[in-house]
Parts: sequence; C-alpha cells; structure tokens
Amino acid sequence: MLEVSRPDPATAPGRERGSASRSATYAEHVLVNVAGWLRGHARLADALLAAALLAFSVPQIAFGAGDAPVPPSLTAPIRALLAAVTVVLAATVLARRRYPVAAFGVAAAIGAAQVAFGVQHGAPLPVFALQPTNADLAIPVLLYTVAANRPRRVSVAALTVCLAGSAVAIARWAPAHSAYAGDAVLGAAGALGGLTLAAWVLGDSVAYRYRRARYAVVEARAAQMEAERDAQARIAAGAERARELQERRASAVDQSAARLRRIERDLHDGTQVRLAALAMMLGEIKENLQQAQGAPGGDGHVLKLVSAAHRNAKESLTELRDLARGIHPPVLDRGLAAALGSLADTVALPVEVDVRTCQRPSASIEAIAYFCAAELLANMTKHSGASRGAISVSDGGGRVLMEARDDGGGGAWPAPGGGLAGLRERVQTVDGRLSIDSPPGGPTSIVIELPGHA
Amino acid sequence: MMPRRLRVVIAEDAAIMRDGLTQILTRRGHDVVAAVADPDALGQAVSGLQPDVAIIDVRMPPTYTDEGLRAAQSVRRDHPEVGVLVFSQYIEARSATELFAGTSGGVGYLLKDRVADVSDFIDAVARVADGGTVLDPEVVRHLLSAGRRADALAALSPREREVLSLVAQGRSNAAIASAFTISPRVVEKHVASIFAKLGLIASDNDNRRVLAAIRYLEP
Repeated sequence: MLEVSRPDPATAPGRERGSASRSATYAEHVLVNVAGWLRGHARLADALLAAALLAFSVPQIAFGAGDAPVPPSLTAPIRALLAAVTVVLAATVLARRRYPVAAFGVAAAIGAAQVAFGVQHGAPLPVFALQPTNADLAIPVLLYTVAANRPRRVSVAALTVCLAGSAVAIARWAPAHSAYAGDAVLGAAGALGGLTLAAWVLGDSVAYRYRRARYAVVEARAAQMEAERDAQARIAAGAERARELQERRASAVDQSAARLRRIERDLHDGTQVRLAALAMMLGEIKENLQQAQGAPGGDGHVLKLVSAAHRNAKESLTELRDLARGIHPPVLDRGLAAALGSLADTVALPVEVDVRTCQRPSASIEAIAYFCAAELLANMTKHSGASRGAISVSDGGGRVLMEARDDGGGGAWPAPGGGLAGLRERVQTVDGRLSIDSPPGGPTSIVIELPGHA
Repeated sequence: MMPRRLRVVIAEDAAIMRDGLTQILTRRGHDVVAAVADPDALGQAVSGLQPDVAIIDVRMPPTYTDEGLRAAQSVRRDHPEVGVLVFSQYIEARSATELFAGTSGGVGYLLKDRVADVSDFIDAVARVADGGTVLDPEVVRHLLSAGRRADALAALSPREREVLSLVAQGRSNAAIASAFTISPRVVEKHVASIFAKLGLIASDNDNRRVLAAIRYLEP
C-alpha cells in the first residue's frame, strides 16, 4: 500500500516567512487557518457548499429572480420536480470525494438536460427555471474534484464534456438573447469557459503534485528494493563463503588432530619402545658390570659410564612419555568418559565425573574437551580452595556441553593471558563457547559448549 | 634361596621389546615358552602351555587401546593359577584398580619403564608368578596424592606414609624392612598402626594386606 500525504500548499510556505509584512502575514494566517479547517472538516465543508448552492437556487425556482416572474405555464408540481432536480444537482457535491466520476456524471447529465430543454428557439426570453441556476456551480467543483483525483485522461474527458456543454449552452442561448448585445454572449462564453478551465487546471495541478509525490515514492521504493536485492545477494555470497571456510577449518582441525594422534602413535610404538629396550639393555649391562666388579679385573670406570647412560635413558623415557601425553593422551582413544575419569584420578581433589553422551564427538572435539577439562581441574585444585568438584558432559542438538563445578571460593574470571582466557580462545577455534559463573564466595560453574564436530 | 625356574608367556606387539624381555628372562634361567604379539595368540598360549606367569602389554592390536588389559582380565578369569603382569606406557590408576578388583593376588601392574631396572623387574615377575601383588610406585603415588582419602591419610606420620606406599606396591615386611634398614618388627608396628588409623583389618597375609590397601586407595 502506498501511503502518500497530499501536498499541503497552504500550510507549509506560510510558517517560514516570518519577516513578511504584517498584513500579508495576517492574510496568510487566515488562509492557513481556513485551509486547515477545510481539510479537517471536509464533509462539513461540502455540506455547507451544497446548502449554499441550494439557498441561491431554490428561491429562484420558487419565486423567480429579479424582474423575471415565474411564468404561469409552470404549475406547482412541475416546479416541485425542478426543485428536486436542483437539490440532486447540489447534492452531488456531497458525493464528490467518494465517487467523483459518478457525481460528475450525474451533474453533467442534469446540465445537459437543462441545455437540451431549457431554451426554446425563438422565444423572446429564456424559459425561466430551466435556465442554468446557481446550482450549476456544482459542475466546476466536480470537474475540479475529478481532475484532482482521477487520471488525466478521465479529467480531460470531463473537461471536454464541460467545454462542449458550455459551447452548446451558449449557442442555444444566443438566439434567445439576440435582443441583447453580442458582447454579453461573448462575455458569458468567456466566463463559462474560463470558469471550467480554471476548475480543471486547479484540480489537475493538485493531481500533478500528488502524482509526482507518488512517483517519487515509487521510485524510492524501487531503489530500496534493488538495494535490498543487492544486500541479499551479498549476504548469500557471504554465507556461502562462511560455510566454505567453516568446512575448510573443520577439515584443518580434524587433520591436525589426526596428525597429532599419528605423531603420538609413532612416538609410542617406535621411539618409546626402542628407548625402553635400550634402557633395558643398559640396565642389563650395568648389572653384569656390577657383578663383575666383585670379581678381579672389574672396571669401575665403565660401570660409571654405563650407569649414567642408563639413568639418562630412564629420564628420557619419562620425558618422552610426558611429551607424547601432551600431544595426544592415549587414554582418549577409549573415549571421553575413560579419559576424564583418568584425569580426575590424578588431581588431589575428589572429583565426580559424569559423562552422558548419546553420540561420540569427533576426535578433535574430544581432544579439546579433554585439554579443557585438564586445565579446569588444575585451576580447581590450585586456586579454588574447593573440597570437592565435579565434571559432567552431555550432548544435545549436535552440541557437547561440559560443565566443571566446585564448591570453592568463586571469583574465577578470564584474566588476559591466563588459563581461562586461553581456554576460551581454544574453544572459539571451533565456534565453541565458554561461560563462567563464579560469584565471590562461590560456588563456581564453568560451562564449555562445543560442536559435535569441528 | 635359588629362585624357581618360571615358565613365562610374553604378549607384546613390539618385536624389539619382546626379544629383549626374552633375553633377560632367559639369562636368569627362566623359560619363555611363548612370545606373542596379539591377544588371541596370548589366549591360546596360556591355555595350551599353562605358564606360571604372563607378561602383557596394555596396547596391542587391533585398536591399540586397552586390548592388553582386557586380555589380562580374561586370563585372570579363565586361568586364576596363572600370574598376570600388565605393563603400560602410561599411568592409569583406574586401569590398575580395575585389574586388581576381585583378585586375591597373582596380579601386577607396572610402568613399561621399569624394565630398565632389570633385576627389580624380574623380581616383580617372580612375585606375581608366586601369587604376589605388584603395583607400580608411580600408580601408588597417584593414589596417595589423589586426595580421595586426604583426611584419613593426613593422620599418618611421614614414615607411615612411606611404609603404606611400599605396602601398596606389594612389598613384603622383609622387603620394606631392608628398604628402610629397620627391623621387621618395627615394620610390623608401622603396618599395624597404619591399618588401625585407616580402619582396615590387618592380615598376616602380605597379599591380602596389599589388596586391602589398594582397595582403600582406589578412586
């Protein structure tokens, strides 16, 4: 729906010219007020106009005008009929806003009847009462209305009807008025034609401004729609790009998780085993040397060297184990429940573990959850002052929810560069979320939400 | 006393470790009757060869997760007379206590690194073969530090904690006495005191004592 307010010629300019002369300002003030009142009381204004038209016309019919008496041929019933027609003509003004063309049609038909029947050829005087009356002023008003409210082709047709009617009327009156000077006929023609044209031009100018405003709105709407289409196309392209990046990231995350797992396997099955076998052999050599020490010819120096090598090998084993565990905890291969249980066993705090997942998350997500849990448990043990804690994992809607709770002193917050901030970053790499509820005095609840797949 | 000649089955998927273990056991006069690389072969070797003890790696094919542990449990179930020594590259207190649950001895759980101290390792194998119990010191340390029994453990003196640690590792009174160079009678007193403080029933049987301690500490 187009909602366009009509241009308001009366109000807008008047207010801005405050420095104009006093009288002009006053006149404008009155005009503005009148115009405003008319707009506010359109029906009442139309009723007053109709009443005014009637007030000028009916007495003419009933009692004659000026020095022309009512002819006796017009009996009372005929006069009543004529009065009724005049009433209808005046009343068309009331319907003009709602049915401009119909009202104009009715008025034009009545006018045409007046022209057709009202003047007798050769009559010395125009036949009274069928002469155009003041009520015919309704016709220019209706023409104005049609011009202002209907397409131009309709209003031009109406104008043509009016001008033609005026011409015919004047042509018909001319013989009747032949007793008078031709100037009067010309004057009448000019006045009638001028009035008709003026009504049309006024109405058409209103319509023109209205159409222009409407056109501007339509144009603006079209531009806006085009802009919206462009924006939608850009959004769609952006969404497509985002999906593509998301897929690429998911595969990168999965690949890196798989690569880490492979590295851990290689360390475990290759390097660690070889190192353990080496340490075992060194241990065996050391023990043999120790036995030989008792016997004559035992070499204390070699024993020392071998002992050092043995010790180094054992320390390397420990370091390598910690390293491999940091890369990918092997216990994760047995699932998150086993991994978190094992993790909880290593902290100096009773921690209840409750894992209820319907579907196993992808390996990369499990790894993130595991490392987050390790960090949270370490925080719990070191900072919270809690006497017990709990970790629960559940899933739903393709997401994994992990909550770490403790009954400690609270006040946990993601200090920049701290463990929690690091966790948040880690979680965000897969569009996860970390939320902290840790009021001073505790208890603390930290919830991590992860997608089921990277 | 000369240790008895043990019949040993080794289940370990890494050939270098399998061969190394075979060598050190053989050099000390034990019989490695089978050295296999997967749980199925282990099952066949145990039921077919009736060994005294099986040494089992936790990570074995097909999935390299906990096949060894499962295999060890089924050996315990089907052949309770065969000792089982599980060794793992990682500390997993839970796996260890799972393994110990419901047994009355003849079970061991060691970190793989322990093979480096060859004699201690062979000793552990022999203890398990004789129905004893062996728990890795690292696992015991974890259990003691995990804080589940922090309040009760806080009541122990430092020396009592050390003794408890060795008890949980499966050491006999005599072994503990020599480790701390104290007399066996003092060790007995410590053990009695520890068990009283923890509310455990003391037993003369070393093995039952170990299991009670482990059960007390387990997560």
